[in-house]
Amino acid sequence: MNNLFELWKRIERSSIGASVFRVGFPRSGLDRARAMVSSFFLHIHPARVNRRSLAPTTTLGLGLASLYLFIILTATGVLLMFYYVPATEHAYDNMKDLEFAVTAGQVLRNMHRWAAHLMVISVFLHMCRVFYTAAYKAPREMNWLVGVVLMLLTLFLSFTGYLLPWDQLAFWAVTVGANIAGYAPVIGEQVRFVLLGGNTVGQSALIRFYTLHVMLLPLAVAMLAGLHIWRVRKDGGLARPDEGPRSAVEEFSGEDVPQTKTYGLMELAHGTTTAVGAKPEDEVSSWPHLLFRELVLGLAVLAVILALAVLFDAPLEGPANPVKPPNPAKAPWYFLGLQELVAHSALWGGVIIPGGLVAALLLLPYLDRSPGGVGVWFSKERRTATTIFTVIVVTLVVLTVIGSVFRGPNWAWQLPWAVTQSVH
Amino acid sequence: MAISKEGDSSPAVQRRRFLALLTGWAAVAWTSVSSAVAAVRFLIPNVLYEPSSRIRLGKPDQFPEGATFLEELRVFILRKGNSYRALSAICTHLGCTVNRVASGEGYFCPCHGSRFDANGAVTSGPAPRPLYWRVLALTKDGRLLVDLNEQTEPDKYLVV
Repeated sequence: MNNLFELWKRIERSSIGASVFRVGFPRSGLDRARAMVSSFFLHIHPARVNRRSLAPTTTLGLGLASLYLFIILTATGVLLMFYYVPATEHAYDNMKDLEFAVTAGQVLRNMHRWAAHLMVISVFLHMCRVFYTAAYKAPREMNWLVGVVLMLLTLFLSFTGYLLPWDQLAFWAVTVGANIAGYAPVIGEQVRFVLLGGNTVGQSALIRFYTLHVMLLPLAVAMLAGLHIWRVRKDGGLARPDEGPRSAVEEFSGEDVPQTKTYGLMELAHGTTTAVGAKPEDEVSSWPHLLFRELVLGLAVLAVILALAVLFDAPLEGPANPVKPPNPAKAPWYFLGLQELVAHSALWGGVIIPGGLVAALLLLPYLDRSPGGVGVWFSKERRTATTIFTVIVVTLVVLTVIGSVFRGPNWAWQLPWAVTQSVH
Repeated sequence: MAISKEGDSSPAVQRRRFLALLTGWAAVAWTSVSSAVAAVRFLIPNVLYEPSSRIRLGKPDQFPEGATFLEELRVFILRKGNSYRALSAICTHLGCTVNRVASGEGYFCPCHGSRFDANGAVTSGPAPRPLYWRVLALTKDGRLLVDLNEQTEPDKYLVV
């Protein structure tokens, strides 16, 4: 052990080692800060981090878990691309090849599928966390908007990926989804035509969805996720309640310090005083406290995905048949709440309610301008907001559960344990 | 172009600055707008490799009395004596294929449960429009020709 340590020290000090590792393994507080600031991979972190931000209950790690899932999806997705051909006559056979003829093909496909589902869940829960802790309030309004766009991109990524296996589920889910887009007023029909590259779901639709799924949307997510994380730093770290005196000067002089000069200290949040809402004694160095927690969460996420992928196979129905819709034909589970609404009215379920929800989410930080409750779960000051949000979330979850397990053939009500034969 | 001294705000300098800004921003706007328009137009296909919407079928007497479902075309050919009609099986709600109910009177969609009567009119469910009736014609060699894009009324028959 000691020898290994000596060896590492020698590598660090050699001319090549010193050119790669600028700081070396940090052993002092100063070196720990320098290691964080000078590394390309680490510099998105702060050098020092508030203890409160490190507590698991502050964020439940949901944002970072979403990022890890995105990384897993990118890695497994790129590997799947080596076998997948986006052509209607090959796509389904490629799925079967991955299943039976490619080493670890099935596991990779399973990982990709389960990570996609979990990412939808974790992104949604992350949004709920940010709402319930009022972390969208000033100065973080813009980052909430970026987050809403990221959630929509996550759903669209999942939806475009859904078509690629070219099985019955894929074909009919996308047929239904594209027709919902057609209901949008004025431009609906044109949007549908451009999305599908024609009038029906066929080869042009497949290549368009593929290009969106493997290129455009992941790039957009990667860039916006970078912006999202960067803004967390620039907006002063994670949202937390105001912690008393705002600066040491104010604390010791007992006078109001004129708030005219702006300080921008390296590795401190910018603001009008030198210590913005953060007492130095509440902070620990990111190396190793933050990095260790990030590593543990990353391993945990990977472990969960691997376990799911080994235990459960991703579903694959029969090859796409444009003349035989399965009965019932169901969209991906996260759209089943919408499909349940669509089953009552296409205009309300497909356009008005989802459009209204997205508009409300985008406007939220500008409608709710009260400063109270920031950084506190279910703050008493925000009872109304918490109630409204909870009602919407519960409604959405209930509709999704109804659409998923309480709907049988012909979209008729059915208890989940009732065994029915598929009717054609 | 001469660089004016800072603070020089004579009318000539102001005009020159205005024209420079105008030209610059016009160039930026023109470049971005025209690229965006071209990109959007690029995405709208000019040629579709979809099957033709006018399809030749068999001779009229090959279709039995009642309804025949042409699976590939997603259309019902309905015969009553020597008169023929064609009903699209594409649900007007979200594009699933409707099925004929077992009793023969009416249609239902398995996706969201829309129901239609024998004339294609909506009786229940979320479908916003009746099923489409398609135009039938006779070719020169005496075969049925259906146009899957042309619409007609439920009381229009092709009499052979």
